Amino acid sequence: MEKNILLRAEHIDKKFGITHAVNNVSLTIAAGEIRGLIGENGSGKSTFSQMLCGIYTIGGGTFTLDGKELHIRNQVEANNAGVSIIVQEMGTLSGLTVAENIFLGHEDPFVHHGIKDSRKMNQEAQRLLNEYGFTSIQASKMIDQYNFEDRKLIEIVKATYMKPKILIVDETTTALSQNGRLELYKIMDQVRADGRSVIFISHDLGEVLEHTDSVTILRDGEYIDTVQTKDVTEDDLKRLMVGREIGSAYYRTDYGTPISDEVVLKVDSVTVPGQIYNISFELHRGEILGFGGLSECGMHEVGKAVFGASWDRTGSVTLKDGTAINSIPTAIKHSVAYASKDRDNESIIINESIRNNVVLPSLDDLATNYVLSKKKLDSFANEHATRMQTKMQNVHQFISDLSGGNKQKVVLARWLGKGSDILVLDSPTRGIDVKVKQAIYALMGELKAEGKSIIMISEEIPELLGMSDRILIMKDGSINGEFMRRQDLTEEDLIAKMV
Amino acid sequence: MEKKNQENSQSKVLAFLGSDTFKGLLPFIGLVVIVVVMNILTEGKILTAKRLRLLLSQVYYPMIVATGVFFIMTLGSIDFTEGSTLGVASIVVSWLSFYSIPLAIVGGILTGAAIGALNGFFHVKFKLQSFIVTICTMYLFRGVCAYLTTETAIPASNTIKALDQDWLKITITVCVLLVAFFLFKFTRIGNDVKAVGSGETAARFSGVRTDMVKFLAFVCAGGLTGLAAFVNVIKVGSITSTAGNQLETQILISLVLGGLPITGGAKVRFSNIVVGTLMYTVLNNGLVMMGFESATQQLIKGIIFLIFVALTIDRKALKVIK
Repeated sequence: MEKNILLRAEHIDKKFGITHAVNNVSLTIAAGEIRGLIGENGSGKSTFSQMLCGIYTIGGGTFTLDGKELHIRNQVEANNAGVSIIVQEMGTLSGLTVAENIFLGHEDPFVHHGIKDSRKMNQEAQRLLNEYGFTSIQASKMIDQYNFEDRKLIEIVKATYMKPKILIVDETTTALSQNGRLELYKIMDQVRADGRSVIFISHDLGEVLEHTDSVTILRDGEYIDTVQTKDVTEDDLKRLMVGREIGSAYYRTDYGTPISDEVVLKVDSVTVPGQIYNISFELHRGEILGFGGLSECGMHEVGKAVFGASWDRTGSVTLKDGTAINSIPTAIKHSVAYASKDRDNESIIINESIRNNVVLPSLDDLATNYVLSKKKLDSFANEHATRMQTKMQNVHQFISDLSGGNKQKVVLARWLGKGSDILVLDSPTRGIDVKVKQAIYALMGELKAEGKSIIMISEEIPELLGMSDRILIMKDGSINGEFMRRQDLTEEDLIAKMV
Repeated sequence: MEKKNQENSQSKVLAFLGSDTFKGLLPFIGLVVIVVVMNILTEGKILTAKRLRLLLSQVYYPMIVATGVFFIMTLGSIDFTEGSTLGVASIVVSWLSFYSIPLAIVGGILTGAAIGALNGFFHVKFKLQSFIVTICTMYLFRGVCAYLTTETAIPASNTIKALDQDWLKITITVCVLLVAFFLFKFTRIGNDVKAVGSGETAARFSGVRTDMVKFLAFVCAGGLTGLAAFVNVIKVGSITSTAGNQLETQILISLVLGGLPITGGAKVRFSNIVVGTLMYTVLNNGLVMMGFESATQQLIKGIIFLIFVALTIDRKALKVIK
């Protein structure tokens, strides 16, 4: 039964301080296999794959590739050994050309007597780009001229042109639109057809089921099981990841609930040059208003504009009582909250404690005659972080130690503490596992029931369909379609307005 | 079994050495070590009452200046203008000391605050990094100071020189420290400053008026340097072009010796100011008393500085100084 085994991982182990990130994991991957690797946040899947490709040093155990034990110290050595990775966040370097990025660490073929032949490098890079079908990208241009998605495509070329034996795709699809995803799937299929292998890490279980041959599940750093994709359903995978039954109430199940006529926020002809044009809409009391579109459609800027965070906005954002929102402090003071898509940079102060992150917008409310009491701050932070069931040692723990899902819980705890009535949530469940996702959806339901209003900006269509009372679809910076909550609304309906 | 225990205790010691608690204690340990070592090397001369009084007299104005710079460095920014600000403000204080002492104090503070405002304005409005801005203004005001003192040193009035009393200088220094401690620890100012140092964008998105916070930090630091100029004039009596020379590096070294991470942010401690300034002064005096030439003194200070930066820097927050 032993198929041709390409990669054998034995007793792989890694600790970060007291955290046992990967605990004695062993697995094998056959040649010509696409292996899904799933698990909740903090289950160790990224750590595992980053040890394989030299980003982290191996804590214990061995990787054997094609019968040879790997001793990798960095990514270039990993590439040479036949392992490459496409990462979740930005993996290209600003200030270099597209070609220089593609051949980063592998410039030798283009260097003669210590001098780099840029023309030859550009030609070769362009040839590769064309071969992949990314003809709109120019190899000689600076990479900064391209948007996040194009840069991801360039990264795909960089990771795959040397035909690695093992290609690791780590949460890459969250950054890609539908088209980009299709390109990536094609490349994965090509790798499989060549008898090489892919390790595919994703939170999107639908995608995992559709594009893998088998799936390995990790939980809390431990190996749980490997299953054949054709034998399992999405619910099976969820159960294996979480270790218990996930309740059926994932999204909202109510339909036809009337929405209050009371308008709490009015956005009138808002324009941010180069981003969004003439956006007007009204948000009602107790409404969850979804915003959808391709990642570059401008919907993320709408969230910032409503929160008063855009630099050069025209048009007006006004509250029920006539207050105009023009700056972040005004927005916060008048009960508007914002959770950014770029969580680590814009939502949380990464090098601060949980407490100081939670109390920051509420400091004025917590002060008595401008004086703050430590006890009051501690109990305030504790109350709200606990209400969100944040997994933490105590509120003085630094937020950088937390997983993505728990960081998001802290962000929400902050705004719950502030008691905001209007919440702008940009990609609230981005990169977050099912258990926390479920908690966030439940919270949104509670807030709605309390009469609070939510603007939910999301790149995940099922989430829009499942949670919104009303959905606005954007395209090229303008609103291109409006849908009311309906049971028979389909993904295709929305996609038709996006592209 | 015994071996295991030994390993266990060894790893505990290692874990402790790498912990934040230890990093927090390091400056205090350093202060004690430096005092003890200097006392041995100078054969006990440094801990005599006369010496201590002299030592103390060198602590006042750097400690006042360091208090202002502490806020700037907590932001993750840096300020190289203290020396030249002290020079210019001292000249203003000396001039005004012939009219009235309160006027001299206010004039000194306003001069410093104006220079701080200029730094803050360029840093915030033009989004220039603070070390670029303050290096430029450092040259500018060093120039002003040199220009005003070309002919002759600028004398201060006898009234102000008569104020050279320890109790007065101690009172001013202690007041500055107490007020700053209160603001840092018990009002939102401390939280805002630390938040900007730990993550400026996220702080802005959490409602902190980041530009205003940065601007005010520079104004306050300038104002405090202006106040320190008054204390300086009391002590020296007349101002030459070298007034406040190299003060900026002295303050920077003091704060880092005191354990302030050069990246600023959440891990700063108010005690960094006091411990650091004391350490620097003891070190400096010890080296002088041991009879090192000034070149050798600089060399030794440089090495100690490097070691401390390497030990105290917060590697998680590592990025270019704003």
